[in-house]
Amino acid sequence: MARGGCTTEQVRLFATCLVDAFRPKVAIAAVNVLERNGVRVEFPAEQTCCGQFAFNAGYHHEAAMLARHFIEVFERGDSDIVALSGSCAAMVVHDYAQLVRDDALAHGASEAEATAWEHRAQHTADRIQELSQWLSQRMDDSQPQDKSTVMALHQGCHMRRVLKANAEPRAVLEHSGIDVMELEDADQCCGFGGTYSMTEWPVSTALADAKIGALLKAQDAGATALTSADLGCLLHLEGRLSRLNQTFRVMHVAEVLDSSGRTPPGTGRG
Amino acid sequence: MAGILPSDPRPWPERRDAGLGNATMRTTIGVVTRRFSSGQRRVFHEYEEAEQARQVAVQAKRRAVRHMDQLIPKVRAKIESHGGQTYMAQDAREAVRLLVEIAQAHDVQTAIKTKSMLSEEIALNRGLEKAGITVVETDLGEYIIQRAHESPSHILAPAAHKNRTQIKRLLDDDARSVEMETPHSEEPADLTRFARSRLRREFLSADMGITGGNFLVAETGTLVLITNEGNADMVTSLPPVLVSIVGVEKVVETWDDLTYLIQQPAMNGIGQRLSSYTTLISGPRQPGMAEGAAEWHVVLVDNGRSSLQGTPFEDVLSCIRCGACLNVCPVFRQVGGHAYGGVYAGPIGIVETPLLTDLQVLPELPSVACTVCHACGEACPMDIDLPGHVLRLRKAKVARCIDHRSARWSYRLWSQVWSTSARYRRSLRLARIAQKLYLKNGQLKNAPGLAQGWFQSRDMPPIAPEMFHEWWQRTRGNAHGQQK
Repeated sequence: MARGGCTTEQVRLFATCLVDAFRPKVAIAAVNVLERNGVRVEFPAEQTCCGQFAFNAGYHHEAAMLARHFIEVFERGDSDIVALSGSCAAMVVHDYAQLVRDDALAHGASEAEATAWEHRAQHTADRIQELSQWLSQRMDDSQPQDKSTVMALHQGCHMRRVLKANAEPRAVLEHSGIDVMELEDADQCCGFGGTYSMTEWPVSTALADAKIGALLKAQDAGATALTSADLGCLLHLEGRLSRLNQTFRVMHVAEVLDSSGRTPPGTGRG
Repeated sequence: MAGILPSDPRPWPERRDAGLGNATMRTTIGVVTRRFSSGQRRVFHEYEEAEQARQVAVQAKRRAVRHMDQLIPKVRAKIESHGGQTYMAQDAREAVRLLVEIAQAHDVQTAIKTKSMLSEEIALNRGLEKAGITVVETDLGEYIIQRAHESPSHILAPAAHKNRTQIKRLLDDDARSVEMETPHSEEPADLTRFARSRLRREFLSADMGITGGNFLVAETGTLVLITNEGNADMVTSLPPVLVSIVGVEKVVETWDDLTYLIQQPAMNGIGQRLSSYTTLISGPRQPGMAEGAAEWHVVLVDNGRSSLQGTPFEDVLSCIRCGACLNVCPVFRQVGGHAYGGVYAGPIGIVETPLLTDLQVLPELPSVACTVCHACGEACPMDIDLPGHVLRLRKAKVARCIDHRSARWSYRLWSQVWSTSARYRRSLRLARIAQKLYLKNGQLKNAPGLAQGWFQSRDMPPIAPEMFHEWWQRTRGNAHGQQK
């Protein structure tokens, strides 16, 4: 982690549509955390949504429209792209190149044009990371003095299995003094699944209830909040808790890191 | 050619709600799938060479599936050189017809059967019973659900949806119907002891044995059956006529390939290094042999399988029916096997059922029974790209207009609007004004269109008074990011 010296690290923030519209304080918290560590944050203002909602539902041409827009916004520049969702980052990393290539070919583009889109997508994909992934690579090995705040962590499925970033959220949280508690059946999906939560709400809700069951056990064991690197999962679980008239604090990892005061890279604040 | 597969005539919402409403099933399925999936993780953790062997097995299976056309004549010739007879059935109907003909040629009254998913796929029992032949299942789980007139709810554990009390009740009725003593208790040992003596009668009196097949080795003409109860040993050695129905994708090339594959179903399905019994059949009884059937008929069944060769879905044919994908699937754990409405439940079922039937049977499954969590892809020992196939099938459905028109318009409009930032921002500002209609106590309680489903069971925070891009604009202006 560069600090105070000649080089200033710079990142471009991808807030995601859910954070932008429904919980902007997540992105504000991320900006705080990054800037506190001397990172210069840029917010490419033309950004919208990664298109995963359409992609997962089978509407690949529609998803490709959003993917091409995303690529046009983010392909300029070489600084890292920090995404506030593991699932959206996974979409860009795992699906974009094939998606824009196939869509170009399906709509009359030449092989050369399709390959050009594929390369542009790959160039963007190579630069994107989810926030805790990005931070964990810049962490020093100091240990926090106090780890008295206990929080339950929900790992989104795409973060866990597509990005294979299973250790990072825990690592940055622990570095910030959070005692991270694993939920029972942690490997099970919370049932969000993008628009699956709307089109198949009975199954989606049954899964939310199973996750909330595990959460209440974690609460009995001392967890004071639920955190995750994915706001989609959190809104789904928080929305279900609200409908059941239950209250349990739900925080995005960025909010936890911001409020903990001790930011992961550890050395940045001095 | 598309295959023929049976399906539950009830629509998905009805099947799903029956599953979600069955608390006993959800409890037992939860216990079974957790035990199996943790077993799978444990056995790979404890056994260092397992991962490498698995990778060799995947390659062997992939090779065999790719060269099915060459391996099938080879294995048929080998079996016939040992005195067996072989047949090729293009679809379910032809397979059933062949089996009925073989049974009738031998005046078969009663047939005993090992567990076989293919026999479920071709609805064999129904076909034989229609021809007046009694079929008795000899796998304990299959025997239980046969008593209940149900279909398997799990590829590997067909009665996984039932608890001991329910099983005891079924076996009690069975005992009374043949004037036998009922099981002493609900303890698994007592239930099994009863089934053992009950089935003994059937083993000794049956005219024909029917098996499926886990693997069929082309090099040696050997059929491999894996069981945990030893019932396949009885079915293949006692009745005078033996018929084996085997999917064309079960052929593997060499004995060496088999040695890598043979552990995979048990390791990945239940977390055991090898199944308790492995039965190998290479031909009918030869002069001087003490046991075995006098005749062995092998019916190879295609039923849509070869149509997947050379497509992006070819790896589906590598499935070894271990059930690992079901055991980790969150949707399976909630709705249970019967909600799927087909023979194959869980992730493999939602992919394979529509694929084998050219999207004619249960095409809703890839859309309704998957959250795209990728757990199945991680668990599959044959590296079948199950999550990828779910997405490919959803795409294929849109391409073939097997989607709802209203959904299509929603996704199209949504994507068009959000593909420029000006329209994206305007749409959110408009939604922020419109949402006042649905606000109560600071939470959104409803919304129109696709989003309606969300609000059936969940609240949502409203669109923020100051969205992030507005906050950035206010506090940072155009310092870093430029707005169009």
